[in-house]
Amino acid sequence: MTRTAPARKHHSLDYDEPEAAPGAHVKRPSICMVAGFIAALFTVTVQAQTQVKKPNIVIILADDMGFADMGAFGGEIKTPNLDSLANEGMRFTNFYTHASCSPTRSMLLSGVDTHLNGLGNMDEWTAPNQRGVPGYEGYLNDRVVTLPQLLKDAGYHTYMVGKWHLGKAPSQIPAARGFERDFSLLDGAGSYWDMTNFTNASPKSVFTEDGRYLRRLPKDYYATKTYTDKLIKFIDDNHGDGKPFFAYVAHQAPHDPYHLPRDWRNRHVGTYDQGWDAMRQARLKRQIDLGIMPAGTSLSERMWFVPDPTLLAPATRSVLGKKMELYTGMVENLDFHVGRLIDHLKKIGEYENTIFIVFGDNGAEGSDLFAMISGTPGTRDYLFAAINWSQTNPNAWGDPGSYVAYGPMWAQVSMTPFSQYKGWLAEGGIRNALIVSGPVVKRPKGSINHGLLHVADLMPTLLEIGGASYPKTHEGHELPPLMGKSWGRVLAGQEESPRTDQDYLAWELFGNRAVRQGEWKLRWQFRPLGKGDWELFDLKSDPAERKDLAAERPEKVKAMVELWDSYVRADNVVLPNRSVFETLYDQLPPRVPDDPGYPPLTSKRQFVPPKDMMADPKP
Amino acid sequence: MRAVIWLRWSVATMLTIGLLGAMQAQAQVPARFYWKTLSGANAVPLIFESISGNTNPFDPSHTVTAGANFDATLAMAGYARTFTLLDRSALAAVILPMGRISGSVTAAGNSVTQSADGFGDPMIEFVVNLLGPPAQKNLPDVLRYEPGFSVDLLADLAVPVGEYDSSQQLNIGQNRWYGRLGLPVIWQLGAWVPGRRTTLEFLPGVWLFGSNDDYVGQSLKTDALFQLDAHLTHDFTEHAWGSLDAAWYSGGKASINGVSGEKLDNFGLGLTLGYQINDNLNLTFGYKSTLNDEAPDDLRMDGFMITLVLGWHPLLEGARRLHGEK
Repeated sequence: MTRTAPARKHHSLDYDEPEAAPGAHVKRPSICMVAGFIAALFTVTVQAQTQVKKPNIVIILADDMGFADMGAFGGEIKTPNLDSLANEGMRFTNFYTHASCSPTRSMLLSGVDTHLNGLGNMDEWTAPNQRGVPGYEGYLNDRVVTLPQLLKDAGYHTYMVGKWHLGKAPSQIPAARGFERDFSLLDGAGSYWDMTNFTNASPKSVFTEDGRYLRRLPKDYYATKTYTDKLIKFIDDNHGDGKPFFAYVAHQAPHDPYHLPRDWRNRHVGTYDQGWDAMRQARLKRQIDLGIMPAGTSLSERMWFVPDPTLLAPATRSVLGKKMELYTGMVENLDFHVGRLIDHLKKIGEYENTIFIVFGDNGAEGSDLFAMISGTPGTRDYLFAAINWSQTNPNAWGDPGSYVAYGPMWAQVSMTPFSQYKGWLAEGGIRNALIVSGPVVKRPKGSINHGLLHVADLMPTLLEIGGASYPKTHEGHELPPLMGKSWGRVLAGQEESPRTDQDYLAWELFGNRAVRQGEWKLRWQFRPLGKGDWELFDLKSDPAERKDLAAERPEKVKAMVELWDSYVRADNVVLPNRSVFETLYDQLPPRVPDDPGYPPLTSKRQFVPPKDMMADPKP
Repeated sequence: MRAVIWLRWSVATMLTIGLLGAMQAQAQVPARFYWKTLSGANAVPLIFESISGNTNPFDPSHTVTAGANFDATLAMAGYARTFTLLDRSALAAVILPMGRISGSVTAAGNSVTQSADGFGDPMIEFVVNLLGPPAQKNLPDVLRYEPGFSVDLLADLAVPVGEYDSSQQLNIGQNRWYGRLGLPVIWQLGAWVPGRRTTLEFLPGVWLFGSNDDYVGQSLKTDALFQLDAHLTHDFTEHAWGSLDAAWYSGGKASINGVSGEKLDNFGLGLTLGYQINDNLNLTFGYKSTLNDEAPDDLRMDGFMITLVLGWHPLLEGARRLHGEK
């Protein structure tokens, strides 16, 4: 959530008008002259709707894509289409989501903190003491209003394709939460090829199309392709009626399992055999060259339980590298289908008037979800997996029935240069790459911004763009206040950040906690990824969170803990009495520092004596 | 007198068939034999065959010799080693046939029976891949191996040092040089995933024979014999597979002292089941028979074949020893 110092009340979020037809009355709408000018705003908005088409809005949400994966953020992964959006728009390096998917999505769509909007915990991990507590329903509750609901009221068509993960009951599905058209996977993950899901208790993924639950999937279904096909059809079906559209493209990719069409699997054979350390170093270098990260940035330490890849046998590196090859294929395939959407919008003349917002929903996935579900022989889920998810041969990876995830080593690559990954509140869990392009961006093309942004900012930002406002009440009940801040002035080049050094962001998930204020970050995490105590980091000098300053700066810790306490009180935080991470300290090897080259035993090279001192044994 | 000459020709023809049967057997390896593996691997193939027939395709008088029979029990043992040649997969092998052959012909109330046993002519085989994935020089190459469409060059050469008795027609050894040139083809159909692999395999080849100038005091020559083996193979599980086999032979016209028989034009079908017992042992069981052989004067030849291939690689053996210690 965001707690603020006095907020700026006046933002300007102008956008370029599209080419007007000859003779048309051209008017530049100033959508956000909000405070004190309601009547004038109403007039302007109505005129804008009738005379100048508002910009279309497309949110491309990539599931579990890491900070450093796109080429525009230093990745070696080929993402020309996403990069083109970055090059025509802006990149942001200090953008925060939550540490896992449904909490992020809930804030994206509601603009309200998770502990108020129903995703105080993921539905899959709700703790006993959170059950029944408002704000912890496990779905997007009805005490919040959604972005598509408000944009629809403001004259937008509202479309959604992809993963929902915010409730399955009829009152919770996309059609009930503001989307006119949808083709949605309601679950958090599943097969990309069919309706197979992961557990014996819930063996089948649930899909909706335009508010109806699907009995079966379309022919030739492949998630990323089908979502794109459906969205293009939604757009075409209403194209020409003069209304703009809001499209929430919540791709399942590249979330595991890495299901991928065969011709996308082998485009980088052997590329990753060199190992994760080399890839992280290469990505960081490109990030510095691009200006994504400042010169002098260090990599976070390699997780202590991740081996030094140079010590691994070629076959091991090959198998582990193939997992990253698959992941790369997932991202490239995603990029390809984003390119199809871009091309289509260009073809129908809508591209120039479309705002693209691209980001990943949380850090890259370093945990083994499949093992969590079916890792114990003899369990019913293990048997379910034996039938449905046992295509373990590397040549089957990508096929239906295979389950590949790339593990913590590659997740760290995806999150270069940050520490840790999805599920955790280190930077690697919550900081993500963000691209915004389109007529709303007034800065030079390809600009990079380092302001402090949050996913919940999308609600106020897009309401401004769409000429809508956030109501105080909805369907008779009072709405919680928005936690985010509009990016209007940032996009317009009028300020570098929507937040001051006094504003702060706070997170809680699975019992892990964090606060960021200015360049300071306070963090409490379960052992062994955390210390089971507060840690303090200066992100300006240490974005990789290598040096805990809590002992050196007790006064700073104290001040930030007070921020944390105020967050708990204001935003209904109930720390869970059970957590998915509570026994992790007993499952992972004891934590030791990562000192490059240690122990030297295994890295010492063969001693070669001077040639002139060598001799055969004497008789 | 006429009956005796006829019988002599019949026996000669039968024995030629018998010899050819042995050669055919020697040429026969089950489907998937030419799949590639890690360079430096070793294999000991053991092939057991039981062949019988009742036919007279080389009868120079174009007369079917009813009542001709032969039976052969053969074993072949060998050693093969894979290696890399100019970045291509290659294999060198030596195969030693051994066993027993007996044959008899009954005609005009007279019966002639001969038998032979012992070691046959050892055969040297060399195979190198021409088209397809590069050699598997390390384990990552093994993991990435998919044959796709691959073509090999195969060369066989039999060395005439096997058991041979010039006083009779029927022998295990051939007393002549012979060999084969072939182009084994593997065509991957679909995914290369254990349990789901499907291949179409061909082995077109030509057998070339030297002459045997001491064939019961006569000279035996055989024309080139063209061979085409075809296999459609499919996995049933990760370790079990089957194949539908077909073989066609054409040519191979034999002549004794310049008197020619007829050229061979045989077609047969068979089935093979294969099972990978463990990382080191592969077992196949197959049966093959000529077609359209119901009538007494039709060509008839059939055979069972069991192969057991013991394979190993020092790297994998060592890794298993270490793994077993844990």
